[in-house]
Amino acid sequence: MDGGKFFGTFRACSGITDAVVLNHVPIGCNWGAGMFKSISDQSDVRHACTVINEREIVFGGEKSLQEALHRADSHYQASLIIVAVGDVPSVIGDDVEAVITSANLKKPIIRVDASGFKGTMMKGYEDALVSLAPLMKDCQMVKRSVNLIGVCLDDFKADADVKEMKRMLKGAGIEINSIISNCSYDQFINAPAAELNIILGRGVSLGRLMLEKYGLPYEVIDYPYGIEASKKLICTASDKLGMGFDLEMDINFNPFKRIYIWLNELLDTPVSVIGDFSAHSMANFLDCELGLEIEVLSTIESDYFSFMQDVRRSNSMMIFGSSFEKKLASELEIPLIRYSYPVFDQVSIYNDSPYVGIRGAINLTETILNSIMSFECNSKHNEGVMCL
Amino acid sequence: MAMIFRYLNQNDDIEHHISSENEAEIRNIIYDRTFSGILQATSIHCHRFGLNCKLSGSVYAVSEIRGAIPIMHGPAGCAFHHRLTPMKIYSPSYNLPCTNLKENDVIYGGEEKLRNAIAEVHQCYQPSMIVVLPTCISGLIGDDIAGICEEKKSKIHCPLVYVSSEGFAHRSKESLDVLLADSAKAWKTSKPPDGKLRGCGQEDVILSLVDQLMEAQDVTEDLVNLEYFGRFRYGSKMDLQETQRLFGLMGIRVNAAIPSCTVEQIKLAPSAVLNIIFRNRRVAKRMNERFGTDYFYKWVTHFGFDGIERFYREVASKLGHEGDASCVIEQEKALALKNINKFYKYFKSHRCALSAQAFFFTPYIVEIISKDIRLPLSYLCINTQFLRNGYASEETIQLILKNMREFFENRELEIEIIADPTMNDICKIFKKVDFFLNDHIIPPMNQNENGCKIIDISSISHLLFGTSFREIADFARYLAGYLNKRTNANRRPIVSRLKYDPINYPMIDDPRCAGSRAMWSDMWALGSSIGD
Repeated sequence: MDGGKFFGTFRACSGITDAVVLNHVPIGCNWGAGMFKSISDQSDVRHACTVINEREIVFGGEKSLQEALHRADSHYQASLIIVAVGDVPSVIGDDVEAVITSANLKKPIIRVDASGFKGTMMKGYEDALVSLAPLMKDCQMVKRSVNLIGVCLDDFKADADVKEMKRMLKGAGIEINSIISNCSYDQFINAPAAELNIILGRGVSLGRLMLEKYGLPYEVIDYPYGIEASKKLICTASDKLGMGFDLEMDINFNPFKRIYIWLNELLDTPVSVIGDFSAHSMANFLDCELGLEIEVLSTIESDYFSFMQDVRRSNSMMIFGSSFEKKLASELEIPLIRYSYPVFDQVSIYNDSPYVGIRGAINLTETILNSIMSFECNSKHNEGVMCL
Repeated sequence: MAMIFRYLNQNDDIEHHISSENEAEIRNIIYDRTFSGILQATSIHCHRFGLNCKLSGSVYAVSEIRGAIPIMHGPAGCAFHHRLTPMKIYSPSYNLPCTNLKENDVIYGGEEKLRNAIAEVHQCYQPSMIVVLPTCISGLIGDDIAGICEEKKSKIHCPLVYVSSEGFAHRSKESLDVLLADSAKAWKTSKPPDGKLRGCGQEDVILSLVDQLMEAQDVTEDLVNLEYFGRFRYGSKMDLQETQRLFGLMGIRVNAAIPSCTVEQIKLAPSAVLNIIFRNRRVAKRMNERFGTDYFYKWVTHFGFDGIERFYREVASKLGHEGDASCVIEQEKALALKNINKFYKYFKSHRCALSAQAFFFTPYIVEIISKDIRLPLSYLCINTQFLRNGYASEETIQLILKNMREFFENRELEIEIIADPTMNDICKIFKKVDFFLNDHIIPPMNQNENGCKIIDISSISHLLFGTSFREIADFARYLAGYLNKRTNANRRPIVSRLKYDPINYPMIDDPRCAGSRAMWSDMWALGSSIGD
């Protein structure tokens, strides 16, 4: 179940934390993207829309955009205005560039194509970062620093995950230069100062572009769920920077020791996993590190109906996915572990409870065990047990 | 749930009355508030910075019909976020198939995709009905949706309906202002305003059902249809049951609660003699034109003891059941009054204030609380900011305040209206009253220096807008239970320590939020006109 290009674009753009995302769209698109973003952060609302209406369909949305730009300029103390051009203005052919030029504002304005019908959420994210890349500038290299590319600030656990990655990299003597897309405008334009781009599954197009333009090398790695993926993140970064660091030394297994009997009980438990690009990394952690059996693995770009049918036919005892899988989990009367966008029925505000990294592995394990141990089976299941 | 009312009770006499009643109804509302209301707050928050798409109303209306599946004819993003329709964020529309229009479809048309989607949905979901919902894009590129539906109807085994749901044809900026002004005028006449909802996604679905699904029937004289959006709305199921029960005692039967019923019931809706409508006026008129079905406008004047009585008398009179109705009304009203009287001794020793938005039902809440429940209500704090944000004019706001004052004077209610009070004003009121009934207006300050209790009635106030005397008595019982609980003097919730926007409270005080709110207000004012 993919959100389409508009959502990917919006998510990439709103990650510039002091930018305003001006959605040149009818009200519904603006509402939807903003609503999902607001679930775990209601204090950071920086999006607006041009309220494309029937009038704009007939006469064009340029006047509305012009008005919106001037108002965005006065209402926000923003460093940047990003105009996300949605489906309708793309079809009716608004000359957005001309409006931006004629607005003659002091602060930078950049146009980003966000036509939902032009691709997937992933494509929207990738293309948006490429569209924003011309803002970057040549700068002096900051030694032993990396950029993390592929983050979205409305991902479940985004803040906590970034904090954990920073902690682990810092432990290896590596500083973060920019987190894309969860950084200020200033940090974004200074991204070329890093020694290495680490791409967490998405943002590869930006990585390629920065290699071409600034000679900045990049490495694509899995989203670091679990101990092994965390080690890969740190080893890759430290090896590429010629530092050499073994994360194994930093791992404290005591929390796992405390629940070793439960971990033993988990072995071979069948589960299903669905999510964005990070689904494979999650499945790897569950399979290789917790010993669960992955019965169904799917991504949001695959056919959702087939996924549901496959899960129904499986023996899955848990689903790992987004809030959209709640009904399926409920139908099968099994727990749902939410980890993938969008999560709209749980919040993640405590930035010391990550799902990635070493601490994330502990936290995820705790979450999984608690979900199973506290799950209330209905009478039908209990009857089954009685019959046995 | 009995624990809630028995927990830390102060007054055993009151406690006896509170716990002696059947608590299942209130428990349901509290349960819904806890598990559903918390998610629904997202919708309230987002309305400060935008307005949901017209299409979301259509998705919601279809979701009310048992077994019906909507097909979103547009890009994937529309179906993606419309799964969370703001009317019921706690209950997403998981089954929302989409034609997933891409760039090529925008150029060459998406008709083939729609044909395939209809066939696939028919096969995969075995729906009771398929409802095609066009989006902005399919509306723009001009796909012949009506033609495709006509063509596919004979190839599937369930009804196929299409709706004019294109998102850009949403309501205008003037609509709220007109509705509010008409409502404020109606407070004086007690006649419902002839409000029209332009661009209402819910109403457009029902209109399509009238035109494309309903069939002429032999009319049965004691049958009525109710407008009811309640399968997934909290608090409303009980009201429907109560309405059915009371109508049943009067010899009137409910034919269908539209659209929260089956496809078959909607098809047979014209067999009723009367449609009772609160919201979708165009639907009533359309059914009258097509099938000759008479209609009755229910309005806020039908709230409260007198209003409920008037409602049943007026409906019964249209159906020739006045005699039966009189008897039932007298019995039910007497029972509810008896139940409320149990708490009167307790209520009369408390002074209270109410905060609410300046919305069309506000004077009636005040009237019910003061006259029916007989709470000593001294102050009404009115927040007009939400209305201003929705482009209500200064002229309309002043009309609302003026007519509200006259409303109270005419009914001899000594209520002081405080329009848009500052936090300082509210703190002064805290010193003068024992408890403060709060309907989502003031920041959640459960503790204040003066020991004034603040009671969130945003969910439980649904009981005051019902069609049953008993629900008002239930509200009184809930309130008595809440007041009877001992307050923990050490309580200081984190949420009450946060800083809020002084004008748009309870919005958090943050320049980003303030900017976005101002921006939305400006753009809505500029961009949503019905046209010159």
